Amino acid sequence: MSDRPHTLPTPEGEYFETNRFTGLSVLLGIIAFVALALCGVGAAIDPKQLSFSWLFAFAFFFTLCAGCFFWTIVHYATDAEWTVVVRRQLENIAVLIAVLAVFFIPILLLRHHLYEWMNIPPGEEKTLDSKRAYLNFGFFVARAVVFLGFFIIASQLLRRFSVLQDKDGNPKFTIWLRRVAFASLPMFALFLTFGAFDWLMSLNYRWFSTMFGVYIFAGTAGSSMSLLVLVITALRRAGYLKDVVTMEHYHIMGKWMLAFCIFWAYIGFGQYMLIWYANMPEETQYFLTRNTESWWALSMLLVIGRFFGPFAILLVRSVKKHPSQLCLISAWIVFMQLLDMYVIVLPALHGTGVHLSLWDFVALIAIGTTLAFVYLRIVGNTSLFPVRDPRLVESLRLVN
Amino acid sequence: MNNLRTPSGHRVYGMGAEYPSAAALYNAAKMVRDAGFKRWDVHSPFPIHGMDEAMGLGKSWLSGWVLFGGVSGLLTAALIEFGPSSFLYPLVVHGKPTNFMTVPAFFPIMFELTVLFGAFAAFFAWQIMNGLPRWHHPLFNWERFSRATNDGFFLIIEARDPRFTELEARDLLERSGGQHITIIHED
Repeated sequence: MSDRPHTLPTPEGEYFETNRFTGLSVLLGIIAFVALALCGVGAAIDPKQLSFSWLFAFAFFFTLCAGCFFWTIVHYATDAEWTVVVRRQLENIAVLIAVLAVFFIPILLLRHHLYEWMNIPPGEEKTLDSKRAYLNFGFFVARAVVFLGFFIIASQLLRRFSVLQDKDGNPKFTIWLRRVAFASLPMFALFLTFGAFDWLMSLNYRWFSTMFGVYIFAGTAGSSMSLLVLVITALRRAGYLKDVVTMEHYHIMGKWMLAFCIFWAYIGFGQYMLIWYANMPEETQYFLTRNTESWWALSMLLVIGRFFGPFAILLVRSVKKHPSQLCLISAWIVFMQLLDMYVIVLPALHGTGVHLSLWDFVALIAIGTTLAFVYLRIVGNTSLFPVRDPRLVESLRLVN
Repeated sequence: MNNLRTPSGHRVYGMGAEYPSAAALYNAAKMVRDAGFKRWDVHSPFPIHGMDEAMGLGKSWLSGWVLFGGVSGLLTAALIEFGPSSFLYPLVVHGKPTNFMTVPAFFPIMFELTVLFGAFAAFFAWQIMNGLPRWHHPLFNWERFSRATNDGFFLIIEARDPRFTELEARDLLERSGGQHITIIHED
């Protein structure tokens, strides 16, 4: 019913011209190569610090990619219309988990520096022995293989079927994709939760929080939606998707950012308050490390910068409909996700206060540029949006 | 208040027309909007996408009232929690301090009262902005209008619109494809 004039895109779709960005691609490749080599040097010089820096960078990028995977399966599970035009980018980012799976290998190699429980022989500590059924190296590796294997296979299937549909527009692919999505939903929830338990929570094997997986998920979903805003805007700046993604799509992405900003605060506070109130030493140790010494400043920055600031700004409707303003706040939320991972991982090493290390940045740059490099390689292989999706027209004509 | 009266002496509420489809109503709304009328409304059995824009409604200020309600809820909670616990009768419970640092324990109430007052504000402001509650509405004097909840699409221009004249309203409704154009009584 909209009276906005609308040109339907050509059925060939829109293609990212990879050779326009060869320079950027080469630059990213070189930086990635150098940074990865430096990480190798770091592993030799200061393996303890590097392993934590690496885990921090891995966790940050893993949550971003897993979040994009989450939004793709939610799209199919809810039969959403609006996501169609931005979905291909979600798929493109989600398949990067395959690269991250390779980057998980250093974590396995450096495990003795990261996970104290792997160094303690059985019989030495009772609390740990009671957890041995879960916290043992064999099971740890098996779980990691299952978790990462699931993410790789499911994200590949989601992208493969969606790309196949570009050719003939056969609605059977939508049905197949819906099946993949429904099978993936419970597995995503379980594997992200237990992945968070394994890789992040077990940094301190004495501490536990049933809320932790949900907390990681809340940050994951909100920050990956912010990343999507950034990616879409970057593509629009480069001259793509101009007639495809409208301010209405931005408005919805902004609304999701607001929703998950609130959800993150709700879960984060729920976790904090129950532990604070009960005041039991085995539970409070996590927060005691993080709100004393110089960690206190970062924790407060997280509370204000991840919730209060974005919440107040995203309440305003015009911000959500304004790409450059929404981009600023998206970049800030992604940065806050980075800080969140930093405050989760690094205090396990530097319990006495913030200790910024060169390796934090090197690891971050190494993984980040590698992923950006691979993204640039695959983004041009397919149309920038699913050209023959049955719901494409509804998505193009989106009205809030 | 307008002073228009029908020959039988009834005060005039407005003029209504029926349209055969949602699309016809949508196009008629755009015509009435462009003719510069302000006091008018459309009625359909289901929401029509893009109608706000076609009617030129702009942004609803209900959100302003919700913000006001939410902020008053937050302040009320802060007052009734910190007032007694920190100033009137400070009491150490569970080894928790009585100063500002005890705020985590108070957050749930602050959150709940913010939501509650926000919801109240939304509900009551919405009622008032819609002129509710009321026993009766002049539109029900028009027999055809009962189809608005079934299969009828209606557009009504109110007589209190400064631009309203019987001739102009009738002409506009006719041109926009309205059928069964009728003068509606106030009482």
